[in-house]
Amino acid sequence: MAKHATPLLDQLESGPWPSFVSDIKQEAEVRAKNEKGVEYQIPVDVCDDLLGVLELSFKHGRTHWKHGGIVGVFGYGGGVIGRYCDQPEMFPGVAHFHTIRISQPAGKYYNTKFLNQLCDLWDFRGSGLTNMHGSTGDVVLIGTQTPQLEEIFYELTHNMGQDLGGSGSNLRTPSDCIGSSRCEYACYDTQNLCHTLTMEYQDELHRPAFPYKFKFKFDGCPNGCVASIARSDMSFIGTWRDDIRVDQEAVAGYVGGELVPNGGAHASRDWGAFDIQEEIIDLCPTGCMRYEGGKLEINNRECTRCMHCINAMPRALRIGLDRGCSILVGAKAPILDGAQMGSLLVPFVKVEEPYDEIKEVIEAIWDWWMEEAKNRERLGELIKRQGFQKMLKACNIEPVIQHVQEPRHNPYIFWNEDEVEGGWDRDVNEFRKHHLR
Amino acid sequence: MAFVSSGYNPDKPMEDRITDIGPKHFEEFYPPVIKKNKGQWLYHEILQPGVLVHVSETGDKVYTVRVGGARLMTVTHIREISEIADKHCDGFLRFTSRNNIEFMVDSEDKVRPLIEDLESRKFAGGSFKFPVGGTGAGITNIVHTQGWIHCHTPATDASGPVKAAMDVLFDDFKQMRLPAQCRVSLACCLNMCGAVHCSDIAILGYHRKPPMMDHEYLDKMCEIPLAISACPTAALKPTKVEFEGKTLNSIAIKNERCMFCGNCYTMCPSMPLADTEGDGIVLMVGGKVSNRISAPKFSKVVVAFIPNEAPRWPSTTAAISKIVEAYSADANKYERVGEWAERIGWERFFDKCELEFTHHLIDDFRDPAYYTWRQTTQFKF
Amino acid sequence: MEFDEAKKMIVEKLEKKAKTKTKFYFNDLAKILDMKPRLAKKLVTKMVEEGVLEYWSSGSTSMYGLKGAGKQAGAEGE
Repeated sequence: MAKHATPLLDQLESGPWPSFVSDIKQEAEVRAKNEKGVEYQIPVDVCDDLLGVLELSFKHGRTHWKHGGIVGVFGYGGGVIGRYCDQPEMFPGVAHFHTIRISQPAGKYYNTKFLNQLCDLWDFRGSGLTNMHGSTGDVVLIGTQTPQLEEIFYELTHNMGQDLGGSGSNLRTPSDCIGSSRCEYACYDTQNLCHTLTMEYQDELHRPAFPYKFKFKFDGCPNGCVASIARSDMSFIGTWRDDIRVDQEAVAGYVGGELVPNGGAHASRDWGAFDIQEEIIDLCPTGCMRYEGGKLEINNRECTRCMHCINAMPRALRIGLDRGCSILVGAKAPILDGAQMGSLLVPFVKVEEPYDEIKEVIEAIWDWWMEEAKNRERLGELIKRQGFQKMLKACNIEPVIQHVQEPRHNPYIFWNEDEVEGGWDRDVNEFRKHHLR
Repeated sequence: MAFVSSGYNPDKPMEDRITDIGPKHFEEFYPPVIKKNKGQWLYHEILQPGVLVHVSETGDKVYTVRVGGARLMTVTHIREISEIADKHCDGFLRFTSRNNIEFMVDSEDKVRPLIEDLESRKFAGGSFKFPVGGTGAGITNIVHTQGWIHCHTPATDASGPVKAAMDVLFDDFKQMRLPAQCRVSLACCLNMCGAVHCSDIAILGYHRKPPMMDHEYLDKMCEIPLAISACPTAALKPTKVEFEGKTLNSIAIKNERCMFCGNCYTMCPSMPLADTEGDGIVLMVGGKVSNRISAPKFSKVVVAFIPNEAPRWPSTTAAISKIVEAYSADANKYERVGEWAERIGWERFFDKCELEFTHHLIDDFRDPAYYTWRQTTQFKF
Repeated sequence: MEFDEAKKMIVEKLEKKAKTKTKFYFNDLAKILDMKPRLAKKLVTKMVEEGVLEYWSSGSTSMYGLKGAGKQAGAEGE
């Protein structure tokens, strides 16, 4: 018999999609039975009380949580988020219910040994509830009490070799796409760059000294599976600068219908026979392709690497060999001055260990942002306030046409004195010799 | 329930302290076929919805079975995932950035038993534990935030509406009939931890009532200057109020400046803003992050407000369904929702999706607004 | 700047403001020290490790305060 009646939540148990309600109920039952004899360090009925308080929110249409900001582990400014229930007497099991962020492994690959260890720890010292994964990328452990925080951190670091993730005005836990580990489109090893920079900047991740949050995300190609261009202050998107590799025989295979277009992505509807003219040539945003006499030609100089033709004919077309990444900066969600996409800062950089060129750009950006930004000002907002040119200067990057979608719409150029012949100091009397007062 | 120490000594927190070790190294977690073929993949193909094969230059193949998952999951559920990975995948697995789980095997004969095992597992309430799907031109898992399960400023729940929406969209998770992939996301307030602003369809929680001032307790519980400086629109100022014959320090709010973000509530629990009637859902559509064919785009608000209808949010899911059906019927192959809307014009988009246009949908928030008004005589009647 | 000198400057300034405000952004501390942020960070971090300062986090933003100062500490009952 459940501790709290949950008639509203119960309605989320039916339907085909995995029900989180059924899952939490199953956890509540496992804890109540405790067949493994776990010495639970937080209340056994934490899951029952969580369902209870959630049911109350469903009834009220309002949350029952408060924020708390002091909790954390010693010496770290991030990784733990404080939560308190606003009905602690009704739901004592979740009166204190703090979140812990665990820095996820690059690529989100796991072995079961590690996952089971994490489950054991979280069973023992927490609610048994997680997010796999949070929006930024961390493993999120939802719900424990303050006295458990140091214990959990100790066991994570000592027994599992695992650290916390970021929160607050820190470098947030970087995250990446699957990259070259299992994707033929990847233009660089996203996992290695993500992990290397995560390790390099551990201090920035744990000890807040930034004006606000700062996110890195790593996309292996312009398809952008981790959405870095939309949601990271610094977005690393794989690209190439030579030619798309073409296998004409495979092109003929797609045209002849022997190969399935789009890697089979449209298989559930009959879209008719693959038409290379209509589906590839005519949809190319730059019009840089032709198909004539059974041969596909690409004018690679005009290609902007949108990936469409490669996505549509993956066995015929492959990314180039001179690979690296583009770095874009300043993406953020809408609050406060409107949403921003990343703006192109570095059109191309080779992604080669030890990544010194990339680190130089990162550190130049941080130096500028840390000195110039107001409190709680994201990088994108600083770029808007001070201007793109200021950022280029701070990073010592030469302006190139690739930096802009189009040239400026107004002539109000803030000329520097040293750009103007003869400077700004002039003799008005000399002027007056030729222009009467 | 006796306290069990890990070995940590609270009197000497720095003793034996291990810090700054970061995440585990990813290579420890690569399945052997991935480790061996990294960087050598030639091409991939979706064999059926939810099942991919990647083929390597070495001739090796890896078969991936993708299953949906609620991102909110328990350790019991994770243990079951591990059990499956031990049984079929030599103890390895991965998660995707959209909360799906991927089981990988290195030969085709292992695929069928894996799928059968996954599809056979159901929760006590009847829902699938591991539905196979979420690939190609369909709808994959909804990325989302915490909602009422754990957040202090949500204007809607997250897991609830996501479950309700995925139940309605389930057929499109299991198949690939749409013109292109359609990414659905949910953020439970305008701070958008979930960065939903570039999704084909975004479900966004929104408050519509400014915070209430709990004058009696405000100065006792909060630092007034902190709460005031947390306001992004400078709607707050310090004030003195008369309360039961006493003059108390408190905060005054200029209601018309409030954008309902809840940042003040984060700093000061004496300024709650959640409200049954005030809170609800905004629908946004047409965003994308891929550079494929057209540049990445922001989502646009097409429904200004839908009330929270727990437990299944029927009006929200019906509106989403209608948008998906109209898109499926009318868009060209490869067109994302936003590309389709731009080609046919937003006038037609509203017709086809049977959406009402109201004054709320004309942007009046700061600089970006101007770029959304129409500066041409080209429009459709 | 020597650590002890920096600590004195921070503690004095924060104590002076304690009546109205007990939590400060990192940049406020860097300004008190009149140092570039990345250099100031080393000293501020040490003050945290010594238990002079403590972090406060809104989840999205972090602040610093003298250990135990402020109304929130009591309110959270920790």
